[in-house]
Amino acid sequence: MEDINRKKFIQLCMYTSAGLFAGYFFGFSKNEVDVTNLSFENLEKFDWGYVIDTTRCIGCGACVRACKVENEVKDTYFRTWVERYEINGKEVVRVDSPNGALSSFSHDNFDSDIVKAFFVPKICNHCYNSACTQVCPVGASYHSPDKVVLIDKDHCVGCGYCVQACPYACRYIDHEVGTADKCTLCYHRIHQGLEPACVDACPREVRIFGKYVRFCMNADSEF
Amino acid sequence: MKDKLHIYTIFSVIIIVIVIAVLIGGILTPKSFGDYGHYRWKSIAEIASKEVINQNVEVCQECHNNLYLIHKKDAHYGVPCVDCHGPADMHVKYYKSDSTSKAITQDQATLKKEYNLEGCLYCHRKLKARPADFPQIDVKEHYTFLNVIDSTTKCTECHSPHEPIFLLTEVNHSRLHPIISQCGDCHTEKVDNDYSKVPNHPKIFECQDCHNEIYADFESKPHHNHIECTSCHLFHKQNETSGRMYKNGNAKFCLLCHETKSFKNPDYPPKIFWPEHIGNLKYLANINQKICLNCHVDKIHKMKLDLKAAPHTVNWIKEHGKLGLNASGSDFNPTCNQCHETNYCTNCHQVKIPHPNDWMETHHSTVEKKGKKVCQNCHKPAFCADCH
Repeated sequence: MEDINRKKFIQLCMYTSAGLFAGYFFGFSKNEVDVTNLSFENLEKFDWGYVIDTTRCIGCGACVRACKVENEVKDTYFRTWVERYEINGKEVVRVDSPNGALSSFSHDNFDSDIVKAFFVPKICNHCYNSACTQVCPVGASYHSPDKVVLIDKDHCVGCGYCVQACPYACRYIDHEVGTADKCTLCYHRIHQGLEPACVDACPREVRIFGKYVRFCMNADSEF
Repeated sequence: MKDKLHIYTIFSVIIIVIVIAVLIGGILTPKSFGDYGHYRWKSIAEIASKEVINQNVEVCQECHNNLYLIHKKDAHYGVPCVDCHGPADMHVKYYKSDSTSKAITQDQATLKKEYNLEGCLYCHRKLKARPADFPQIDVKEHYTFLNVIDSTTKCTECHSPHEPIFLLTEVNHSRLHPIISQCGDCHTEKVDNDYSKVPNHPKIFECQDCHNEIYADFESKPHHNHIECTSCHLFHKQNETSGRMYKNGNAKFCLLCHETKSFKNPDYPPKIFWPEHIGNLKYLANINQKICLNCHVDKIHKMKLDLKAAPHTVNWIKEHGKLGLNASGSDFNPTCNQCHETNYCTNCHQVKIPHPNDWMETHHSTVEKKGKKVCQNCHKPAFCADCH
């Protein structure tokens, strides 16, 4: 009995590995898009800068709508959203963002006596030492050479660790696809020389985008 | 012998397991994984190859150049086309008739044109959190003020979205800026009745109805005897009935009345000899700049010379250091260059003021040449030590 079992076991092993090999050549080998215009050395030269001037924001939500359309973000999820902070005379603070400010804000939360109020557009910070990429167990969340935090959706298993790890709540699980999702800084746009959709849609130049070096000089001369 | 066979068996099983694990790992790991880091390198290209959906202004401009030229001159110049008209990817594909356009119907390719009230209010609804200098509308107040009865009235019936400073002036849409809308627009014959008794009659405004403070100032001062509000604030383009409100005219504009050659009456208006009037102060003698109002703040309405704005008091030489710097004394106050040439400060202070943009890099060599005392002309002695 023992001999037969071992024989069968080895046979089984051989068949399995043969099957895997066959599968590798026919099934698993996915045709990957070839990198033509993007090379690692070129990408390393980029360092993007993104500034949000909250004093100019009018909370119209144009950025939110543009992002939704551009990146096909599903309902109730947001890659960028606008928050409103209102402080009244008794120093009560109310923060709200009805539906991510998708259709702007309809009324003030306090009837009167608002001492200070302002809008804060929120977006992924693309941190240099990001918490979300560190916790990914499968290497699906990573920093691109130009320091944008991206998700490889083919590889992501949707465990949700990164969603919990992000301190800014900028990630969500896309339940239709079953993967995590987040702002890509409109990676497809910035490498065509365009600005991210939210920057492009902003009517008040609240969001400013550019390469970091040029950007510093601008900021220097302005302030 | 038999014992050793057991050991071989165990080891061979372990080795087989390892080999299979490595093989499976190799098979399941994508090709480009780990090329440049712990990620699949080619996923970057996949993400970057996504199609652009929101078209930017340059794309729209290629076909709609006439609209673009109007749009960029007016107050909505910063509002990109996507904000009102939506993403134009289908539209562009359909009308440029690429091979992919066959699947697109004309319905999909049509962009949103009509914008309802809510759409305008995304930006212009009155909210405390919006910056105070941004134009905001409380619809209820706006409609009661203008006697608009139909609450479904759209903003675009009076305001042109591409040129918001202009008001549309078809006679039917008589809820217009009072200066533009006159009785004669609707009535061909003279009307005796007081219009306030006529139901649903649009209100006819005078300047002072809204701008009463300015009007009171204006009324009490001599400008009033010679000009009207519309003399400065309203111009008609040729063949157009819509008007543009002008503020802060340039020097040329003021000199239309005040220059020597235009005098009809020797006493009034007051003579201004240009460019001697500003020449003594080494002013930028450019007639196209709005430099009159730098000193004659509110002169137009109040006829008052504001000495704070033009800080040339008797003690000017002693005091100007305070005004030359900002409140904390850390940075230059750029107001000098609003009137004076850029080298005006430099003539005495020997250093370019305000400092050039690359000052951070170049100031070492300048200070070496001219000595540390140059800095102390304006800054406190401790200023250099803050960084050094």
